[in-house]
Amino acid sequence: MTRIAIEDLAFRYPGAPSDTLSSLQLEICSGEAHALLGASGAGKTTLLNLLSGLLRPSSGRILFDGKDVSNLAPKLRNIAQVFQFPVLYDAMNVANNLAFPLRNFGFAPSDIESRVARIADELDLRSALDRKVSGLSLFEKQLVSVGKALIRPNVDVVLLDEPLTAVEPHRKWQLRQSLKRVQVDLGVTMIYVTHDQTEALTFADRVSVLTVDGILQTATPEAIYAEPSFEAVGSFVGSPGMDFVNVAGLSRVPSNLDASQKLGLRPEWVELCVPGDGMTAGVCDDIVVLGTAFGERVGIATVTTPAGTINVRTSGDVALGTQLGIRFKRAAVYRDTALVGSHEF
Amino acid sequence: MSFSRPYDNRAWLGVLPVLLLVAFSGVIPLMTVVNYSVQDILDFNSRYFVGLDWYRETLGDPRFLDAFIRQLGFSATILAIEIPLGLLVARGMPRPSTNRGLTTSLLLVLLAIPLLIPWNVVGTIWQIYARSDIGLLGVFVNALGISYNYASDPLHAWITLVAMDVWHWTSLVALLAFAGLTAINPAYYQAAELDGANAWQTFRYVELPKLKGVLIIAVLLRLMDSFMIYTEPFVLTGGGPGNATTFLSQYLTTMAVGQFDLGPAAAFSVIYFLFILLFCWLFYSSVVQKADA
Repeated sequence: MTRIAIEDLAFRYPGAPSDTLSSLQLEICSGEAHALLGASGAGKTTLLNLLSGLLRPSSGRILFDGKDVSNLAPKLRNIAQVFQFPVLYDAMNVANNLAFPLRNFGFAPSDIESRVARIADELDLRSALDRKVSGLSLFEKQLVSVGKALIRPNVDVVLLDEPLTAVEPHRKWQLRQSLKRVQVDLGVTMIYVTHDQTEALTFADRVSVLTVDGILQTATPEAIYAEPSFEAVGSFVGSPGMDFVNVAGLSRVPSNLDASQKLGLRPEWVELCVPGDGMTAGVCDDIVVLGTAFGERVGIATVTTPAGTINVRTSGDVALGTQLGIRFKRAAVYRDTALVGSHEF
Repeated sequence: MSFSRPYDNRAWLGVLPVLLLVAFSGVIPLMTVVNYSVQDILDFNSRYFVGLDWYRETLGDPRFLDAFIRQLGFSATILAIEIPLGLLVARGMPRPSTNRGLTTSLLLVLLAIPLLIPWNVVGTIWQIYARSDIGLLGVFVNALGISYNYASDPLHAWITLVAMDVWHWTSLVALLAFAGLTAINPAYYQAAELDGANAWQTFRYVELPKLKGVLIIAVLLRLMDSFMIYTEPFVLTGGGPGNATTFLSQYLTTMAVGQFDLGPAAAFSVIYFLFILLFCWLFYSSVVQKADA
């Protein structure tokens, strides 16, 4: 298991006018499941290729357990990778696919056998070991790809490049569970690249939010959700994203907030009340019903207020076009798009 | 609510042009040959039905059998050389992703040149190139102290013929294989590298399985084409020395055009046609079935 450090990393594609990545800092602990979350174009794949050795940094270093690997070829880095689609050897059966890396790295036949059995058990692939790869479903193939990436016990880090992209939607959850379980069982360091916040937040111990401006925040999923360090992180993470309202636009301002600040609100941090009773009031102009709980409809009402649009988690019936008050329970506080604290009401 | 499918037999008129085209270009000529093959034709006014006599005669004709065995030997030899060589050339080509593609484009044009030369010109080029008195190759080989004369030595004639076919057609295999190689997603190479695969393993387990489709096409094309080879040996050796390089099509032409034996030539043609069909079917079904098993 390996600690990974990225120091001042920069990369510019040949002939490009500006850096795709610049002065990037990141530390990933040994045995950590780390997600790199970002919209497309943020440089996720570039960072992954720098880690795997497909690209060389323009400046800065990548350290595996203190050893500089920045300029090593992929095969000298002791890493494994799972790709967006299953990358397997069609001519071999599942067992041989799993054993292939072990054989190439000179493991003893008895070790190979026990390791293949171990990984097959972890991923519920025992019954598929003798099957040809071409007969497997997309889900099973990607499961074998994961197995192949995890097969070498001494690998420093496993890179996962949007591994659920090709999997059937209803199996995504299942594959993510298998991945998480095996990551915990084997204690392997994993870097998981995705644009899907649900994947990132449910899989990872820590998440790094990557944008064109670099890594905006690295924190646990809970902290990313509750205390996004920048407004951009708040609006990107969550469904719907965090709402931001101007303190100046509120009808009542608590004494320790000032008018230049903004409040970041999650739908469950606010509730509806009668107009005049809350911090602000507005007209409900959209309702999305999420389901029912205890016989009542549960949904999100979108309310336009003088301070900004606020999404509110509601239960019970709300009529479109009605005037509603909104009471705040808690909020994250921002100044100049950066987090400065949180506020309990 | 039920749907009734509208029937209109006038739609058959729509396929009539295709039916006519296929009939006049394929079915009717072939049936004419079948018709000839069961008759003894002295001239077009006196012909006699002879049943399967010509087939019996052809299959018992030692010259036919010799030409057939020569033909098999030739096809097997050029396949054994052109397929691996074409693969090797294709693997040696720089992939478009690794450079600006200029070298690749140049090499592709170079490779395509032999394919663009008319077949009788290919025969003429080699006929002169390999001549032991004035040809560049022939004179050079003799200057090395090796006595070489394709016009008199059957083995030399064979070697020259095979060399000519390899020169002419390896490009086709190489181009097909190169197209197949460029279609492989780079992730497969990356994965193989991370899995510690060496160059041979990458070829055997990544490239070869992915090239299977194009290689089947390449083998089929070269098998059919080489089995029907006519122009180049006709120009280069004229079938000689003796009958050493007389292949099926040349023997057939001698029979049909030279001797005007229309009946036996027709029977020969049908047998020839069925053999090509049989080989291609055998090859294709054995490969496809093996893949399904």
